[in-house]
Amino acid sequence: MDSIFKNRKYIALGLAPAMIIYLVFVLYPIVRSFFYGFYDWNGLSKPVYVGLSNFAAILSDKVFWKSFWNNIYIVVVSVFGQIPLGLILAVILNRKMRGAMAFRFFFFMPMILSTVVVGLLWSTILNSQVGILNALLKALALGGLAQNWLGDPRFAMPVVGFIVVWQFFGLYMVILLAALQSIPKEIHESAALDGAGELTKLTRITVPMIWGAITASVVLCIAGGMRTFDLVFTMTQGGPAHATELMAIYMYNKTFDVYKYGYGSAVSLVIFAISFAFILSSRALMGKASSEGKGGEA
Amino acid sequence: MNGPNEGAAARKIAGKALLYLILVVFCVITIYPLVWMLYSSVKTNGEIMMNSFALPSALHPENYAKAWTTAKIGTYFANSLVVTVLAIGLTLVCGASAAFMLAKFKFRSRDFVLSLFIVGMLIPMQAILVPLFIQMKDLRLIDTLASLVLAYTAFGLPLTIFVLESFIRSLPDSILEAAVLDGASLPRLFMCIILPMSGPAVATVAILNFLTNWKEFSLALIFISTEAKKTLPLGLYNFIGAYSTDYAQLMAAMTIASLPLIVMYALFQDRIIDGMADGAVKN
Repeated sequence: MDSIFKNRKYIALGLAPAMIIYLVFVLYPIVRSFFYGFYDWNGLSKPVYVGLSNFAAILSDKVFWKSFWNNIYIVVVSVFGQIPLGLILAVILNRKMRGAMAFRFFFFMPMILSTVVVGLLWSTILNSQVGILNALLKALALGGLAQNWLGDPRFAMPVVGFIVVWQFFGLYMVILLAALQSIPKEIHESAALDGAGELTKLTRITVPMIWGAITASVVLCIAGGMRTFDLVFTMTQGGPAHATELMAIYMYNKTFDVYKYGYGSAVSLVIFAISFAFILSSRALMGKASSEGKGGEA
Repeated sequence: MNGPNEGAAARKIAGKALLYLILVVFCVITIYPLVWMLYSSVKTNGEIMMNSFALPSALHPENYAKAWTTAKIGTYFANSLVVTVLAIGLTLVCGASAAFMLAKFKFRSRDFVLSLFIVGMLIPMQAILVPLFIQMKDLRLIDTLASLVLAYTAFGLPLTIFVLESFIRSLPDSILEAAVLDGASLPRLFMCIILPMSGPAVATVAILNFLTNWKEFSLALIFISTEAKKTLPLGLYNFIGAYSTDYAQLMAAMTIASLPLIVMYALFQDRIIDGMADGAVKN
């Protein structure tokens, strides 16, 4: 009876299709990128081993650092924009409001759209000729504030940050709302009886109790911010004058515009390493903060 | 005497009104751009240029016809459909069979194999864009729809296996044992018992994979160069150069591309919201 569930032939056959596809198109390419990162290669001629010089060149390229700081900008805007906004809306929707489900449906909607559509739609909205933002400003007699939003290096990144928040805040609202719904109602009721105000309840009870979900959200913001590509690529291609250049766009340009495959692989490895370092350190920091918080209460 | 009570009640109503105001403001900011896209898609370019806010004076569905044929949205739509459906099918067949093995069979490397797939959820796609491109070139798959089907399957497997494995593990062993005693073969057991019983979990991962594949841009951008093989997100990207001033057509094209996603979302909102939130947190 048990033998059929230990039969090696069946197990191998059952796992093989998934394993083969996964190995060939995910795991093996990663191993290869470690290899190519140390080579100079244009995709046609024979790769030449160059040691660490690709990495040295990346780290001394001003455009790379510009793109790095732009990724950090998106991470910071995500962490301090989407999470507080998501939390506020989640707290409101958690109060048995009429129509809460409809609001949740609408807030989450940008999440399901293709990022290319979001990029093109906002490019049109911000367009200086037909865009509705400048039209709105003119209608409010604020025409002086109208700008070429994505074409001006001063405004391009803040605008990108806004659109990232616009598209993704619904995800954080949903994650935090799910966490809020798992807090027993009695805790809030007894706090209310003790005379705790709304703000005290939020900072002293709600936030500590959903700290796990907040930590997960921060990690998600970092991972998402570090890999941002589609949205900015469709809106600005990294311009004007590298103002919105991101690490993934830098990698794309180096690989597919100037055919430096070895260099591009090295950039992928750097992105990979930076993302992991940030995710691990944020986990460590926030884990520490939460255990200190618990220690203080005890 | 009831002054303070009335004051408290009034404050409660005002508070509630304030909360609704916040919600409505955010709702307008979230939804108005989409509504604008929808009604601009049936205006003429002249109307959009004259007054971008105004509602259409008459409906111009010919924007859709033009987008579908002139801007080749019809071709892109068909490609997206083929790639998405084939990738979902392949992901589910491979993923469910692997999940069944991992959930119900006993072998030494089980934990290792499962964690190998879980690690895949942590790998940002951008990090393997370049090596994957080289891989596809070596396999002579560049500029084929097959490259997208295979890559989407590979990227869809971790979440699919993760969800299905935990679902299948929760199915009672007694049913499997009874079926084996009745003389059911393993393929039969898988097709007639495991798959039907995992229906809800299979549906969830199918929907999530549909959304991911339908929206995907980065891989399509680097793999596909022939017009006739482009998927919708990549085809829309063409508008930036060629049709950058035909706003009405652009809006129609974007509406066509978004419609399947919005219909899916309207039909399965709870499943999609919960699934995407869970999947995101697992990452």
